[in-house]
Amino acid sequence: MVLNARVLVVRFRDVSKRFGGQKVLAGVSGELRPGRVLVVAGPNGSGKSTLLNILAGLLRPSRGEVTYAEDERVLSAEEWFPNLGVAAPDMALYDELSALENLQLFARLRGVSGHDHASLLLELGLAAAHHHKALGAFSSGMKQRVKLAQAVLHRPPVLLLDEPSANLDEDGHQRVVRLVTRMRPATALVVATNDPREMAWGDATIELAG
Amino acid sequence: MQRSSLLAESLAILGKEVASELRRRVALNAIGLFAVTTLVAVAYQIGPYGLAEQDRPFLLSALLWIILFFAATAGLARVFVKEEDAHTAKALRLAARPLAVLYGKLLFNLVLLLALEVIIVPLYCALMGFAVRSVAGLILVMAAGGAAFAVTSTFVAAIIARASGSNALFAILALPLLLPLLVAVIAGTRAAAGSMELAAVLPALRAIVSLGGVTMVTAVFLFPVVWRD
Repeated sequence: MVLNARVLVVRFRDVSKRFGGQKVLAGVSGELRPGRVLVVAGPNGSGKSTLLNILAGLLRPSRGEVTYAEDERVLSAEEWFPNLGVAAPDMALYDELSALENLQLFARLRGVSGHDHASLLLELGLAAAHHHKALGAFSSGMKQRVKLAQAVLHRPPVLLLDEPSANLDEDGHQRVVRLVTRMRPATALVVATNDPREMAWGDATIELAG
Repeated sequence: MQRSSLLAESLAILGKEVASELRRRVALNAIGLFAVTTLVAVAYQIGPYGLAEQDRPFLLSALLWIILFFAATAGLARVFVKEEDAHTAKALRLAARPLAVLYGKLLFNLVLLLALEVIIVPLYCALMGFAVRSVAGLILVMAAGGAAFAVTSTFVAAIIARASGSNALFAILALPLLLPLLVAVIAGTRAAAGSMELAAVLPALRAIVSLGGVTMVTAVFLFPVVWRD
């Protein structure tokens, strides 16, 4: 069940994460609401991707808590996941499937039907000539465009983007800007980045010290 | 907007597995190469006349399942490891329910195993002169045994997917689960070879279904924890 984005809130309080003896995150707090962009900035190794993985529910924090709620009703992970869209450098799609086949697969998994995946790929700058080619033949920039398409094809109320313009040329970056602008009113966005252009999107910023 | 049904998600993952395998043929090549090589080697060395008549039902049954077992293990163990190696597991975790992933990959392993049996068993019977009195009984044992193997292999493959040294770990974890199953399917195959009565294979079938059923129930409860954590 995908929820009305206007009432969906993610709160994280005093979130810390250790990997063995190394502390990666220390006491980070914040809130995500539709219509707002939270930028997570910091040097390499400061925990930006770790924080996004914790917010996505893919990683447990060592301390602190993350709650996903509609009004004041706390949601379980199984209720939460369908409302999430994620694009991250450590995430890959299927190289042996074409761009369209990848989107069709994830659309079927998410119960999305009737969407024009080809138009979404075109919106993100992937030419029609490439739509039926296997992802394994793509450059990193082309794969990034398909990854972004996968993240937004179900119109998620919460979108976590880890370095969204990575490997993209200026045209690709501008397309990401337009995508963020289009989705912003109904979506809570988190962008982990070191790119000053992306940092300017934020209504609020969390600076991780590293 | 409603989420897909569990069945639809499982079939989507099965479709993805089949499409990927037909294009890459990693598991198919591993299974095919192992099965054909061992079958030819055994048939060449032993053939239809290499065993004493009284030894044939048991030894031929055991040899058949040894070929199937090791061929299947060569191809089935990587069904989850390949997702971690290719970094596609994260996207799958976010998009699909854990049980859909389990059922989809289990169905894929089952398809692989049944295809292996359909090809290898008739060849084996022809090359080894393995006369089976109850073909229906053999089919039942093959189907149930294949399903139980698929369930066990899939579950163990899921557990070891994120561990280092996963290949060795698969063998260590799978052995105590697969060994009783192997004993049961060999017994069932021997019973089908020795008797025309379908009832002759029932004791072995009960054991196979029980072992597979227990593993399936365990997998349904444990897999979501293993997959998400």
